[in-house]
Amino acid sequence: MTRVSSKTLLASALILLSAALFVLNLGGYLGSARQVVVRPLAGAQQWVSQRYYAARDLLTAPREASALRARVDELEAQNAALQDQILALEEQAAESEILQALLNFARTSPESRYVAVSVIGLDPSPFVRSINIGAGSDRGLAYGMPVVGETGLVGRIIEVNASFARVQLITDPQSAVNVRLQDSRAEGLVVAQPNGELQVDLISQEAQVSPGELVMTSGLGGVFPPDIPVGHIVSVRTRDFELFQRAVLEPVVDFENLEIVLIITNFKSVDQVPAP
Amino acid sequence: MSLLLGLTGISLLAVLQASLVNHLRLVDGRPDLVLLAITAWALAGHARQALLFGFVGGLALDLFSAVPLGVSSAALVLVVVLVSYSEGRFWGVHPLMQLAAVLAACAVFYAAQLSSLWVAGHPIDLPLVLNRIVLPSLFLNLVLALPAAQTAEALSRFFTPGQVTA
Repeated sequence: MTRVSSKTLLASALILLSAALFVLNLGGYLGSARQVVVRPLAGAQQWVSQRYYAARDLLTAPREASALRARVDELEAQNAALQDQILALEEQAAESEILQALLNFARTSPESRYVAVSVIGLDPSPFVRSINIGAGSDRGLAYGMPVVGETGLVGRIIEVNASFARVQLITDPQSAVNVRLQDSRAEGLVVAQPNGELQVDLISQEAQVSPGELVMTSGLGGVFPPDIPVGHIVSVRTRDFELFQRAVLEPVVDFENLEIVLIITNFKSVDQVPAP
Repeated sequence: MSLLLGLTGISLLAVLQASLVNHLRLVDGRPDLVLLAITAWALAGHARQALLFGFVGGLALDLFSAVPLGVSSAALVLVVVLVSYSEGRFWGVHPLMQLAAVLAACAVFYAAQLSSLWVAGHPIDLPLVLNRIVLPSLFLNLVLALPAAQTAEALSRFFTPGQVTA
């Protein structure tokens, strides 16, 4: 009987403590405490992610399969430290390729200043579409900064700690992006469906929208800079009784395989303070 | 089992969940390592330790998530209370009852996360969430439930060799 009571007491205390942390966090009183806890955990997360990407690159590069097999045969005689070193070098080479692609993207908008940051993880909750990146306010990142990949828009920063930040992807249902269609010049709003599918809403009925058309940010609203590619129109739904057309969008970014992203650090978002 | 070792282990599981396990998907569902570990440890007869591990593991998960801080920890504490009901005898009457315990644990965990996100204004399409996330995650968790339970039993025997567990 006593044992059950003590367990219930412990459970109640922990739930109350959770509730207190919930309230303190909402009030913004846990900022510095979170920094202390998150820093080592983010470091561990970055270490695991780098190993994961290196292993995945090894396993999913069929064009290099024979070369890799030969190299693996060679490496079998060597010790674990050397193997680890080779994995690290391969990862660096893959990173260099990505950085080259990101640099090419950055050259298309030379007026922007970028910081390249590695992706260290996904949101642990499957109900939220956000990623964690391995840099924070230490490297000048701030709330609201736009995030791009080598081909286009990824999302925006919604939480910043000293050494880690969280990026809300444009595929998250809470995200909304003002866009312009490249050919028809029509304006619209990209919203994500709960299944991650992107749709362009609020397209004028007069606009002649065709599949394949490139969709770019318009800069309206001041949340994202203009002219960043978002995706291509896949199909258009036009109904006479509706005020606007709606289109399905295929994003230009492969959100499943993001390894490094660019943060645009000199863009002044109108939405620079997190909602309470 | 050393409490410090367990707390470190559960924090590492949270890191693995955020960096590695989230890439292992079935539709949009994914296994929940921390939830499975907590449930298995509670079923192995270590309810009070599991309460603390659930609290710390939940905080570690929330630190890397858009889910408000404290929600996962409270949910995991509730999960332990549920699965340690009647000191584990209720779930221990048959090995398959462990699957039912994981089922109940998932229900509590997901309901808490979804409720908090809904309250925070996150759009939730319940049928879609059920089909694409909850059911696939549940399937993956059920597949991993028995190996997790066996691992917890083995760890329990290793750390507390003299103790007879439920």
